[in-house]
Amino acid sequence: MRPEPEVDRQPASSLDILEPLARALTRSVAERPADDGLFGARSVVWRVHRDRSFALAGIRSLMVQALHPLAMAGVAQHSNWEQDPIGRLAATSGYILTVTYGDTAAAQQAGARVRAIHRHVNGTDNVTGLEYHAADPALLLWIHAAMVDSIVHIVQRYGRTLDAADADRYVAQMVGFAELVGVPADQVPASVAALQQYIESVEPLRATPAAIHAISVVLDPPGLGEDMRELWHDIGQVAIGTLPGWVRAMYGFGPPDPELMEREQVRQLIGALDLGFESLPGVVEARERIELRMRR
Amino acid sequence: MARSPQLLFASVERRTELRHDLALRSAEEVAEELGYMKGVLMKLGQMASYVDEDMPATFRAAMGRLQHNAPPMSPELASSVIAAELGGAPERVFAKWDAWPFAAASIGQVHRAITKDGKAVAVKVQYPGIARSITSDLRNVGLLRRVVSAAFPGMDTQSFIEELGERLREEVDYVLEADNQELFAQYYEGHPVIHVPHVVRDLSTARVLTTELVSGERFEKVLEWDQHERNMAAETINRFVSRSLYRLHAFNGDPHPGNYLFHGHGRVSFLDFGLTKHFNDQDLVPLVEALRCLVIEKDGDCFRSALERAGFLKPGAPVPTETVVDRFGLFYSTVLQDAPMTITPAFASAIVRRFFDAKGPLAPYSDVPRTYVILQRINLGLYAVLGSLNATANWRRIGQELWPFVLGPASTPIGEAEARWELERAGRNLAPVG
Repeated sequence: MRPEPEVDRQPASSLDILEPLARALTRSVAERPADDGLFGARSVVWRVHRDRSFALAGIRSLMVQALHPLAMAGVAQHSNWEQDPIGRLAATSGYILTVTYGDTAAAQQAGARVRAIHRHVNGTDNVTGLEYHAADPALLLWIHAAMVDSIVHIVQRYGRTLDAADADRYVAQMVGFAELVGVPADQVPASVAALQQYIESVEPLRATPAAIHAISVVLDPPGLGEDMRELWHDIGQVAIGTLPGWVRAMYGFGPPDPELMEREQVRQLIGALDLGFESLPGVVEARERIELRMRR
Repeated sequence: MARSPQLLFASVERRTELRHDLALRSAEEVAEELGYMKGVLMKLGQMASYVDEDMPATFRAAMGRLQHNAPPMSPELASSVIAAELGGAPERVFAKWDAWPFAAASIGQVHRAITKDGKAVAVKVQYPGIARSITSDLRNVGLLRRVVSAAFPGMDTQSFIEELGERLREEVDYVLEADNQELFAQYYEGHPVIHVPHVVRDLSTARVLTTELVSGERFEKVLEWDQHERNMAAETINRFVSRSLYRLHAFNGDPHPGNYLFHGHGRVSFLDFGLTKHFNDQDLVPLVEALRCLVIEKDGDCFRSALERAGFLKPGAPVPTETVVDRFGLFYSTVLQDAPMTITPAFASAIVRRFFDAKGPLAPYSDVPRTYVILQRINLGLYAVLGSLNATANWRRIGQELWPFVLGPASTPIGEAEARWELERAGRNLAPVG
């Protein structure tokens, strides 16, 4: 277990809380990788995954993913995420970054580790009464699809240029991500349209009490300083605003304030938060390593 | 623990090594690096680098790191800005053009070039799109307020943001900077130790600023010079700040040592007038009064009422006048005695700490009115520079030469040379035209 965040030491320097995420990045982007990994430095995956709007995409992903009662039950019953939500986020983020920017061996190893953990995550959801297995390709596909859909949506809306053709290319390249955790490639949507169709076809989705609780922690994680909390709150509100209407309805969220969702302002919010993130040790250097490899 | 002002400077030092391998190749990449609040917040950090005592450690680190990491423009991108602004590719507009910059500026970079009539010049080229993006970022006051109050707790957020906004809006307009620089360059024309490079107007626009190229030693080098040389350099910097204030009613608000180039024997070139503040007589009167009351009259009540009129102290604060004299008097301690005094780094730190002392007996009643925000910055910056140089001088005598209520005689060899220059200057200005 991690110690409580040392709130007293630096009451105003609330950036400390992002440090696990910074470490996840610096560890995932090796200084001397053996090769350019599963996707390659020219891939759309590399380009999209270094977008500064990624944090926003992450929050949206979690909100959609949590709607699958069985996926949510697996997390709620088997993970210690609540003791350390930021640590849990950092682990997920580290996984995504390692699979993206790590060399082939590192990516394969990360995938194997996740598959091994999933084998032990089994149980019964007490809301639906259904059994679940984390290694079930159907559950894994849902998690994958919700993430990829959120990334495409957020990056197109608030990130750097990602046109329709590149978005399709991205979704197709990401099939490899799903395969790595054990989803057969032929089951994975390989275009934006196929992805949409899949997401709207999945049943039974609902906001269980566990999901609502999880999302409330994501929106207001413990240990944030006052100032950081306000910024984080705004990011959360934007993430909610980007959800499809039916997802918002399940959680009982109202429609977004159009002013809050305006691209320029959201970009400014992301920029301010990202500046704080970049100030943490190693972040700029890791980003530079990615950039230099993409330019080679 | 007290941080030395030298360390404060380290965080805003111009980067020496430009990351050409990461050069920005398009306006989109510029926006990614410097748009969306980044440029604005970095500038804010730079402006507040003396306000540093209260700045949370991570923010301080942030500012330092980010100063070092804004990459330059690629030659093609810089060239496209020149073409858009000056109507032709740099190789055609100039006789010689150095495709890679030799220095960074906060919202641009500086190239060496030779004009068609053979002048060596420094060409400051602004990042494309940055002016628009800064203007938009400054409009998001709500977000700025949050970040400022997070990064600088205890600071008057409102006046700081207003001042920041005004200065930044000015800074993106190189025409304004050109006007300011020319004001200084013309005033100091022929000065024995102070040099300000002239602007080349027909090669300057709102986004490109061409000035005479100056070569000289950087501040870090001067720190290795002997103490006599350092004292002379310090004296010149001190004279530049007070002469600009008293005679030009203007000063360069960016006192960091990267803006100085040193030539030995006290000769200093002053660069970068992007942050110039102008004063009027009313702004100056209470400051001069406070100085006169404390230093000459030694009258506490008179001192106090001048501070109140300037807005530094709330009228009727329940604090004894001796406390006011004791707390505010520290800022005048270099000129209280008519004797040589060494400004050590420790003394400079003490000044900075006192200035930002949120717990002192006067804290609830004191404030920095917006008019003086930049002036305070200069003063603190000046102390930091003089402290780094460990400079000794009779600061009182030097100051008195310009105080309107004394106008004392020249007190040093530099002062004498300056007096001769001033006479010549007056003669030149009085001479009939034609």
